This record gives sequence, structure tokens and C-alpha cells, in this order.
Amino acid sequence: MVASGFAIQTRQLTKIYPGFWKSQQVAALTELNLAVERSQIFGLLGPNGSGKTTTIKLLLGLINPTAGDALVMGKPAGDQDTRRVIGYLPEESYLYRFLNARQTLDFYARLFNMNRAQRRRAIDYYLDFVGLDPAVRSRRIGTYSKGQTRRVALAQALLNNPDLVIMDEPTSGLDPVGMLEIKNMIMRLKDAGKTVLLSSHQLADVEDVCDRLVILYRGRVEIQGTLNDLLEVKDTFQLEARGVTPEIQTQLLEFAQRSGLTDVRTGRPRVRLEDIFKNLVDSKRKAERR
Amino acid sequence: MHHSINIMSLVADAVILVILVAFILTAFRDIARIGTGISRAWAVGRTTFIEAWHNRMWAIPVIWMVICLILGFSIVRGYTPGSEVRVYLTIFIRAQEIILLVYLGILACLSLPRERERKTLITTGAKPVTRLELLLGKIMGLGAAALVMLLAMMLFTWAFMKVVDHNIRSDAMVSYKLEKKNYNRLVRHVPPDFGLLYTATHGVLQAQNYITGKLRIAGMISYATNPPTRYLKGGSTETVYFEFPSIPANLSYQPDFLFRFGLFPPGRPAEIHITAIERENPMVTEEASVKLNAAGSAAWTPKHPFRFFSYTDPQTGRVLSPGPVVLKVTCPTFHTYLQIGDGTHLSNCSCIVTGVNAAMLHEHGIDYILPKADPVITGFKSNGWQEITGPGKTGQTPPEVASWEFTHLNPLAIPKTKNGKFTLHLICGVSKQTNEAIPNYAALFAYSSDDPTNPVKILKLHINEKRVTVVQLPERLLDGSALIVNLSSIVHGHWLKIRTNSVRIMQKPSSFIGNLFKTELIVFCEVILLITIGVVSGTALGWPVALLTTMCCYILGNLFHFVSVLAKANGFELLNIVQEHRLQGVWYYQLGSFISGVMVHVLEILVYLLPNFTRFSPLPFITASRNMPWLFLGQNIFAAMISMIPAIAVGYLVMRKRELS
Ligand SMILES: Nc1ncnc2c1ncn2[C@@H]1O[C@H](COP(=O)(O)OP(=O)(O)OP(=O)(O)O)[C@@H](O)[C@H]1O
Ligand SMILES: [Mg+2]
Repeated sequence: MVASGFAIQTRQLTKIYPGFWKSQQVAALTELNLAVERSQIFGLLGPNGSGKTTTIKLLLGLINPTAGDALVMGKPAGDQDTRRVIGYLPEESYLYRFLNARQTLDFYARLFNMNRAQRRRAIDYYLDFVGLDPAVRSRRIGTYSKGQTRRVALAQALLNNPDLVIMDEPTSGLDPVGMLEIKNMIMRLKDAGKTVLLSSHQLADVEDVCDRLVILYRGRVEIQGTLNDLLEVKDTFQLEARGVTPEIQTQLLEFAQRSGLTDVRTGRPRVRLEDIFKNLVDSKRKAERR
Repeated sequence: MHHSINIMSLVADAVILVILVAFILTAFRDIARIGTGISRAWAVGRTTFIEAWHNRMWAIPVIWMVICLILGFSIVRGYTPGSEVRVYLTIFIRAQEIILLVYLGILACLSLPRERERKTLITTGAKPVTRLELLLGKIMGLGAAALVMLLAMMLFTWAFMKVVDHNIRSDAMVSYKLEKKNYNRLVRHVPPDFGLLYTATHGVLQAQNYITGKLRIAGMISYATNPPTRYLKGGSTETVYFEFPSIPANLSYQPDFLFRFGLFPPGRPAEIHITAIERENPMVTEEASVKLNAAGSAAWTPKHPFRFFSYTDPQTGRVLSPGPVVLKVTCPTFHTYLQIGDGTHLSNCSCIVTGVNAAMLHEHGIDYILPKADPVITGFKSNGWQEITGPGKTGQTPPEVASWEFTHLNPLAIPKTKNGKFTLHLICGVSKQTNEAIPNYAALFAYSSDDPTNPVKILKLHINEKRVTVVQLPERLLDGSALIVNLSSIVHGHWLKIRTNSVRIMQKPSSFIGNLFKTELIVFCEVILLITIGVVSGTALGWPVALLTTMCCYILGNLFHFVSVLAKANGFELLNIVQEHRLQGVWYYQLGSFISGVMVHVLEILVYLLPNFTRFSPLPFITASRNMPWLFLGQNIFAAMISMIPAIAVGYLVMRKRELS
């Protein structure tokens, strides 16, 4: 069935949202050619309105392309059987407000024809997995906070243990810990051999997890490549070390000048705020547990 | 114009067929996976049900219960027991029907548009669920909601009716005991009413199974001849109906109707009143009064013959035919009886058409047409009840007779008592003009039609207004041939009010709650059909328009019969002014007529396309305390399903390629 090793492949994929007048038409996506390999984490970047969500909806067959076509797991986009192995986290958590977390997941699990035991196991597992506060699990989703809803939406996307996970801004609305957890989760998915397509505005996250990415602008691909290709500054070398005294510093600088290096910069490295936040929360939690 | 096949309904059927074929061609893959799809559809249905629950669905049965409680404590008395139960059941079931149709109709119209607005369809649509399953799921969920509400309401209704039944029974027992005491003490001349005892012991919550016969008013009947002679009573509302097939006329001379009645008393001058009706279009009528000569004969030619007679247009050669014709004849002359022949031969016909265009008849050399044999007589009619009068004051005129004919009886299907009798129930109304103080008595003649050696059973019965009179008849009357039961009042000045099911051969009764359940299921059929229409219109339209569409479908679906009658006439001919109106040749008259004709036909196609809601009538059985046959229920369920399939097909075709966001 799978001729290509690609999880997602698009050819000249184009979407023009229709309008009554010509001027109301929106060319949301123009001739997109994507190739996402299996077991790859693929980032879809771009400013607001650049066509990320449009791309994802096209891949899922939620909207119909104006031109071009897309293959997902080797089948045309929107194929019923492929949807069994796809998990989708929409850009906003569109869930039924009148169901509670368990009922919600139960509903989606039924759509995958899981039996009662499978459903119960999957629901318990993924609710713990996304870290939804057990106190709110039997409350209606209409009463949840944004992040809590997001976590249910995430559980919903992973429920069928999908081979391809498509996430539209997975971290929106999550607290920093949640963001980190998501990052770790994505890495774990990758380790399990799953393919992940994600769109995000959190460039730092993308930088941490993605193997490959495209940057869209007004529906067109502007930059595309692997993370290493894009981020590595080829003609620069960096050195970090402990126990550097002022004497050694001056010696190093002198050595650099002598060697004819240009644009030499020195200073103390800084940790990232994210790391500090994480360390703090982690240590507090450890203290609480003790 | 008379068509044997209705072209508009053919057009509608063709459209439905095209939809179904398109549906099967486009949906065969989705239909193929319906095996696992049903559980996915039910997942959608469950969620829809929970949503309905959160939309305060439960409040409706609760309110219903409160209404039942309030009514239960303030039961309206004063009806006769049978009609009291009928009134309650009519109110309850109609109210249920309306509440459910409105509430679930709204929910159905809202369901898909609301999911689109809240964008939950995006999440659901990315799961392995087909659009067909989504559609079916919505219908199933709302259907389940309807069923749950219906069952809850049914239980409350049933409990309420139990209370009513209990009250009626105890009232009946008290009255019966009082009557019996008074009769024993000789205060009362009439024996105690057995119907009261019957009510007290059996209650009024019944689901009787019984066989009804064919009712014919014999008019005044004389058994002296074979077959018996029937008379129309002068000065009464008794009417005889002569039915003719399409009558062809010549342009040179026109046919006329010839009447020949036997007069009783002979030679007394009498008058008849004739109403001619075009059967296909009952709005076309013509009336006339005609005097009979001393021999009882008269001829009548309609003023506008071509409303009733067909003719061949000499220029085009087209046959212009108004179709079959019915003549209603009454006799306004008092103290006269018109003898009516049974019309099996020319010699014993009371009305024939002469002077017809013999060339257009199949038989050669004949230029007359006979009506349908054995013309129907009806008495005074209102609300399906007819009346037969008692005998004349001094007994010189016999009473009128109503005759029930039970054919195709299966003797084994009729339960018998230990002493070899089977049971007949008699329910008729009594109205009294004179002799008010005297209770009504009736004579009942029962005999088997084919076996002259089988003696006639004659009973004198005490008839109570609309209360059951139980009659036991010997088993020997069930000999495989038709059973005839004739009934007449034997008290002067008393009328009996009867209808087809006034005489019933009783079978084993069924349970009332079962009957109530079947009734509710018919309401359910109607509701689920409306739900389907609502969900389907929600696939493409926003909820306000979907609501409007669904309402229109329901209203047009209830106009089925009205519109098909309307469409029989064309354009302004509907107003029955076309033939003599001088505007006829004027262009704007013709244009207007054309436009209105087209509009009526468009309406007709529309009505034939939409499901026929008039089909579902839950009430007639239960209000008559009669058990609904499973066949009737099955037909309704089948009809609902047959109407749902094209609707679902339309919904699928719309949904198939629709973008979900
Ligand atoms: N249903 C629609 N009808 C018309 N135009 C639309 C529709 N949906 C999206 N668009 C337009 O298409 C373009 C791309 O939208 P899209 O949602 O794909 O952007 P995005 O990259 O996901 O942006 P964001 O980062 O804000 O989520 C936008 O200009 C948007 O206005
Ligand atoms: Mg977006």
C-alpha cells in the first residue's frame, strides 16, 4: 500500500476560499509542495494568516482543495481508513461543552470502534498522560479553563495511538510546564516512530523538537529545510567552559587577536528563562511530595 | 380532466428515483461500511442524546407528569364514560404529538448548524466517521430522545388513565347497585342497566379486538320479496346514491337520466331532489328538483351537460371526459316511500342514463348505462353517525332497519362461552322525540345468509345511550357463510344512532397499555420522520431557514389529500366558472388561468415529493377502545422508513462534499 516512505506528500496544493466578489476571495495557500517523511517531526511555521491551519485542514479532508492534491499515509487526503491512524489537535479546542472529559474521550474512542475495555484503558491512560487534574474530570468541559480544555483536546488527539499526529499550535493556552511536557511528549512520539506535523508560533519549541520545517508566508513556502541546515552558523565556533579566570580570559583574547579572528565576542552564558521556571516548579513539587 | 395515472406523482416518483440512484452510486462505499458504521453512528447519537438531555429534555415529561397530576385531581365528570376516556386520550396523545414534534423538530434543525457554529464538527470530522454515519447518528440520537420522552409520558398518561378508570368503575358500580335496589323495590320499572355492570367490572381502559361488518341502511325493508325490497323514506334525509361510469354523449342529442321508482302508497304524487356530482372533482355539482308521475317515473337532463358527460371534439378528435358521475337522490315528500330496485338488471334499476353515444360503448346496439348495482342508502349523517327511525305511531309504517353483513368469518377465531355462544357488542346512541320516559328497546335479527334452515335468532334488547349492550348469539350462526345482523328501534319516536362499528363480534381483548404503546409508536414514526427532515435541512441551511423548511415540509405533508383534490381541476376551472364565463376567450383570463394552473401543479409535485404526514393517525383505534392491529403499526413504520430513505439520501448528497469548517 505504501509506495513512498512519506507520511505526507502534497503536490501543488492550492486553496482559494471562495467569495461572492472576486475581491473577497482569499488565496490562503498557493501551490504547496510538502514531503514529510515517516518518523519525522515536521514544523509548519509562519505569521498569522499564512495558511498553516488551511494546510492542515486540507490534509485532513475537512476542506476541499481548489487545485492540486495531497497524499496522507499514501492515500488521498480525507480517506476514512487513514483517519484511523491520524490524531488531530485543532487550533482551538473544539469540544462538546456539555460532556465531561471522560465522556468526551469515550465519544471519540467509540468513533474508533474501540470496545468497552479498550476505551476505559485508553481514557484513563491518556487523561493521566496529558496531566488533567483528576478533580475536574467529571465536570462539564464548558466549565474548564483554557489549558484544561487544551489537555482534553490533546488526549483526544492521541487516543487512537496514531501513527501520524497533526497538531495545530499544540502549546496555545498551556502553562510553561505544560509546554515543556508537550515538548517531551513530542520527543517520545518520535522515539516511538510516529510522525508529527505541528504548527506553532513558539519558535523556541520548534527549534527544540523539529527535524525539518517550512516557513509559510501568505500561503507560499518561503524557507524549507532541516533544522541543522537552517540554524547552524557554518563559519562560527563557540567555546564554553568553567573555571575561566580573568587571566585566562585575557590570554584567550590575545590568542584570538594574534590568530587574526574577526568579530570576537565574550561574556557569561545565560540559562534560558524556561529552564529556570522548570527547575523552580520541579524543586517545589519535589518539596511538596516530601 | 380525468387521468387514470397522475402525471405529477409520476414526475415526483422519478425525481425520488433519481435521488436514490445518485445516493446509491455515490454512497456505496459508505453504505458498505455500515456494519461497523452503526456503532460509530450510535456514538454520535449518544452524544446528541446527551446534548438533548442538557437542553432540558427531561423537563418535558416532568411537566407532563405535573399536568397529569393536576388533571387527575380535578377530573371532569359528566361525560358518558366512553366519551370521557376518548376525550382524555385525544387530548393527551395530540398534546404529546405536538410537544414532541415542536421540541424535537427544533432540536433536529439546530443540531448540525450548531455543531458547525461551535466548530465541534472539525474535531469529529477528522475521526474515521463518514458523513452518512454523522447524519444517521444525529437522527438516531434525537430518535432515542423522542422514544425516551414518549415512554416516560406514556407511563404518566397510563397512570392517569388508571385513576380515571378507577373512578368510572366505582361510579358505575354505585349507579348499578342503586338501580338494582330500586328495581327490586319496584320503585323503578326498567331493569338495572347491564351496561353499567359491564363498565363496573371491565372498566373503560380496553383494547378490544373485534370484527366489524359492512353497514347498510336498508331504508324501510320488506322481507316479503326475495331479495328484500328497500324503500327510501320521503321527508327524511335518507339519500340514495347512484354511481355511473364516464358517460359518453353525442353532440347532436344529449343523454338524460331516467328515474323509475315504485311508489308507496301507489299513485300519490311525489318529488325527488337530485344532486349530480363529478366524482373526481366534488366541487362540480348541479342540483334539480323533479316531479315523479303517477307511475313513479321522471326524466332529467342537466343544464350543463358537459360537466358530466364526455364528448368527442369534432375538430381535434380528442375525448373530453369529466369522469365518473354520482347522483344523490332524496325525496322531500312526506308520508311517501320510494321503492328502490337493486339494479342488477335493466328491469329493476331505479335510475339509468339513456341516449348515450352508443358508438363509444363497448357493447353494440346499447344506448343506455346502468349504475353500480345495489345502490347505497344513507340515513341522516353527522360525524360518521347515521340514524334509523323507530316505527310509526300506530304501527302502520315499520321501523327503518340497519343491516350489518359479516363476511369471511373464521369461526375458529371467535371465542365462545362454555354454553356455545359467541359475544356481540352493540354500541349505539339513542335520541328520543316522543316517549322520552320510556327506555329504548331494539329488535335484533341475526341469521346466516346462505342457510335457510338455520333459524333466525330474534332478540329484544334494552339499548343505553353509547354504552355497551352485550349480546350472546348461538354458535350455529357461524356456519361459514356471511352473518347478517339487522337492528331496528321498536319504540315510536326513538332514533338509533349507529355507525359501521356499532355492532361488533368480539374476540379476545388485548392489554390497554400495549395498545397505548402501539399508539405512541405511531406518534414516534411521525416524530422521527420530522427529525429526519429537520436534520437533513440542517446539513445545508442555517437553523432559522432549516426550521422554516421543516415547518413547510410538515404543513405540505399534511395537505396531501387537499392538494391532490385541488390539482384535479386546472387553473381557474377550479372556480367552476370556465364553461359559461364570457371572459373565457380573453387573453388575460387565459394567462391568469395558465399561471394558476402551473402553480397548482408545482404545489402538487412538491406535495408528492414530500412525505405524507396525513398517513400517521394514532387516534382512531385507541379512542374507540379498539386494539390496534400489528399490521397497521407495521404499515406506519414501513411508511415512515420508506419516506426517511429519500430524505437521508438528499442529506447525504448535500453533506458529501461539504466543507466542515
Ligand atoms: N473559511 C475561510 N474563509 C475565507 N478565508 C479564510 C477562511 N479560513 C481562513 N481564511 C483565510 O485564509 C488565510 C490563511 O488562514 P489560516 O487559518 O490558514 O492561517 P494560519 O496560518 O493558521 O494563521 P494563525 O497563525 O493565525 O492561526 C487567512 O488570510 C484567513 O483569513
Ligand atoms: Mg492557524
